[in-house]
Amino acid sequence: MATQASFKDRVLIAVIGDEDSITGLLLAGIGHINEHQKKNFLVVDTKTQISTIEAAFQEFTERKDIAILLINQHIAEKIRPTVDRYQKAFPTLVEIPSKDHPYDPSKDSVLKRVQRLFGE
Amino acid sequence: MSGSGARENIFATRMALTNTKLRLKGAETGHSLLARKRDALTTRFRAILKKVDEAKRKMGRVMQLASFSMAEVTYTTGDISYLVQEQAKLATFRVKAKQENVSGVLLPAFDVDRVPGSDFNLTGLGRGGQQVLRAKEVYAKAIETLVELASLQTAFTILDEVIRATNRRVNAIEHVIIPRLDNTIKYIMSELDEMDREEFFRLKKVQGKKKRDAANAAQLKAIQDELENARAAEEASAAEATESATENSVENPEQSNVEEAEESVVEESAVESAVEPTDAAGEDPFATSGDLLSTKDEDVIF
Amino acid sequence: MEGLFFNVGSGFLEGIVRGYKAGILTSSHYASLTQCESLEDFKTQLSATDYGNFLANEPSPLSTATIADKATQILVDQFNYLRSNAVEPLSKFLDYITYGYMIDNVVLLITGTLHERDTHELLERCHPLGIFDTMPALCVATNVEELYQSVLVETPLAPYFRECLSAADLDDLNIEIVRNTVYKAYLEDFYHYSTTLGSPTSDVMLDILSFEADRRTINITINSFDTELSKEQRAKLFPAIGRLFPEGNNILAKAEDIEQVRQACDNISEYRTFFDNSASTQGNGTHQDFGEMGVAALLEDRFFRMEVHLNKMAFMQQFQYGVFYSYMKLKEQEIRNITWIAECIAQDARDRIQDFIPIF
Repeated sequence: MATQASFKDRVLIAVIGDEDSITGLLLAGIGHINEHQKKNFLVVDTKTQISTIEAAFQEFTERKDIAILLINQHIAEKIRPTVDRYQKAFPTLVEIPSKDHPYDPSKDSVLKRVQRLFGE
Repeated sequence: MSGSGARENIFATRMALTNTKLRLKGAETGHSLLARKRDALTTRFRAILKKVDEAKRKMGRVMQLASFSMAEVTYTTGDISYLVQEQAKLATFRVKAKQENVSGVLLPAFDVDRVPGSDFNLTGLGRGGQQVLRAKEVYAKAIETLVELASLQTAFTILDEVIRATNRRVNAIEHVIIPRLDNTIKYIMSELDEMDREEFFRLKKVQGKKKRDAANAAQLKAIQDELENARAAEEASAAEATESATENSVENPEQSNVEEAEESVVEESAVESAVEPTDAAGEDPFATSGDLLSTKDEDVIF
Repeated sequence: MEGLFFNVGSGFLEGIVRGYKAGILTSSHYASLTQCESLEDFKTQLSATDYGNFLANEPSPLSTATIADKATQILVDQFNYLRSNAVEPLSKFLDYITYGYMIDNVVLLITGTLHERDTHELLERCHPLGIFDTMPALCVATNVEELYQSVLVETPLAPYFRECLSAADLDDLNIEIVRNTVYKAYLEDFYHYSTTLGSPTSDVMLDILSFEADRRTINITINSFDTELSKEQRAKLFPAIGRLFPEGNNILAKAEDIEQVRQACDNISEYRTFFDNSASTQGNGTHQDFGEMGVAALLEDRFFRMEVHLNKMAFMQQFQYGVFYSYMKLKEQEIRNITWIAECIAQDARDRIQDFIPIF
């Protein structure tokens, strides 16, 4: 597999989330700014455009040094078609709840696939 | 009988038959092995599925605790979100990927890798530092849970792919390869049977011919013997007859008689040999062994 | 004697501030607020208090951040009313109150400018009480030197910066160290200014400010264990006022664990109880089990209670400016309280909902 060598370099955790989630996660220490001044997190608030979110999603999934991409569930809802189409193994996409939107298993894209499999 | 047409284009020999039989055996073994692998992977898959479900629910709870600890921080320290965002420089919380071999499939798993760093150590220095510290710890635990979840999810996705691929191969062998090989074998065997039959037929034909040849040769011999006897008898009688008459004048006519007789015998034998192929229809004046030939005639079907 | 002329300049405003104080939420209000099931209930309950319909125009669903913002806005409006009607020396006193917030804003701007952030965003995040006219000028600076110069020139905080920091410091030092250094200078300055105001203002204010200084000293000490802050650096952040000054400060500067901090504070009767590790019941009837965090986490809560207590005491005396300062602090605590209750309701953490500090 060609990806074997490359995922040794994948070490970072990226986040697309609302302010509170990002603050907390950054406090724990996952924030990173690389030499091109690129951050590995995107703060999404009520004024952020969907195109910005999409662009950031694309960028994070294409970067070679990101192993896991965390995204708040309510933000994933806004770009649900893109998220559902995402099939790559790396970076892994994990949907997390936010302060205002507790976790809803029925909307999670991975669990939806699981349901489909169990239903088969 | 849709599969009967699908067979390999192969020249039908016995070696080809052996080879194809070996391949069929190989395909069947392969099929059972792959089916076993697929079943093992599916069991593993269901186990991971359960774990993923549990992990997701745990994550929901853990994230809630973490959010609450942030609320505490806001209570004591005020709004630190902007400063935290600006101060993030190097990730101190990283992951290391490692490969695990699970029933022959290399699955990646993530391990938490804490790099020592000093981000945010002084946040809340004047006020609320303890709350900040606690929030850091709670979030660190939350992220560890998330990393585990991510490992499970990758394993899940990759396993899903592999199971699908294996299933495809199992089905391919079962529905395409094995029928094809079966049909090839049947075809080869039918060809070989056909060749056998042809061979047998040829053999029989040759045998027949040989027998007829032998019979004809025997007949000829019998005729020749008779002729010789007849001639010898004639010579004897002719010699007696010419002794009384003039010796010379009788000898010539005798000789000529004998010659004539010989010639006529030769002619007759020549005629006979020419006539032999048409013996079937014609009558042979010397056909004393006509029985064998006539019986032979009935055997052969032209 | 002070009463004779106080009312001439400040009587009206003292009356106003006491009226504001009467509107601070009481325990019965808090009791009904904690019973709320949702943020909508919460909003309804608040509309019956002095807050009125401050959340009326907010789209649902409400967020706790909005509640906090709007409540702060009410406080800002009240303060601005007081400030615009004030004359010297009350106006100067009120300005001193704003310097604290200004320090926070300047620190924010420095961080943002050094990382080349959008100035609009920065200005939006500043605390409204700490806004001064020349703030946008700070955002224009492109490097540390310019920033330092513009801070010196434009802001009223110039003296605090000038004394303690140089331009190089702005870049090298952790921003928290910068903040605390400036804040120390501010506290000391405020303290000395209060002394010049004479009794009874000075009595009240010196008490309050001493406590604030001691609180910061203790906090800085405890929070700097196991960090890269050296003991010398730590010592430089201790304000030179308060009960712990000078002996307590010296001990704390050398302290390495919380035991030594406790010993340093044992000499002062009021602070002795702060370090009690026993599961004492709090004033509102619940007690926490903090596990490993132990006394350090409890400390912050006790500090807040002490602060509330001192600020309430300020209202016992008339004819002094302390009431203005105390009102601001009490109102802030109230905003913290209602934000906390709102968070507990929103996150369904009913067990911690009583962790606020009731004021009256």
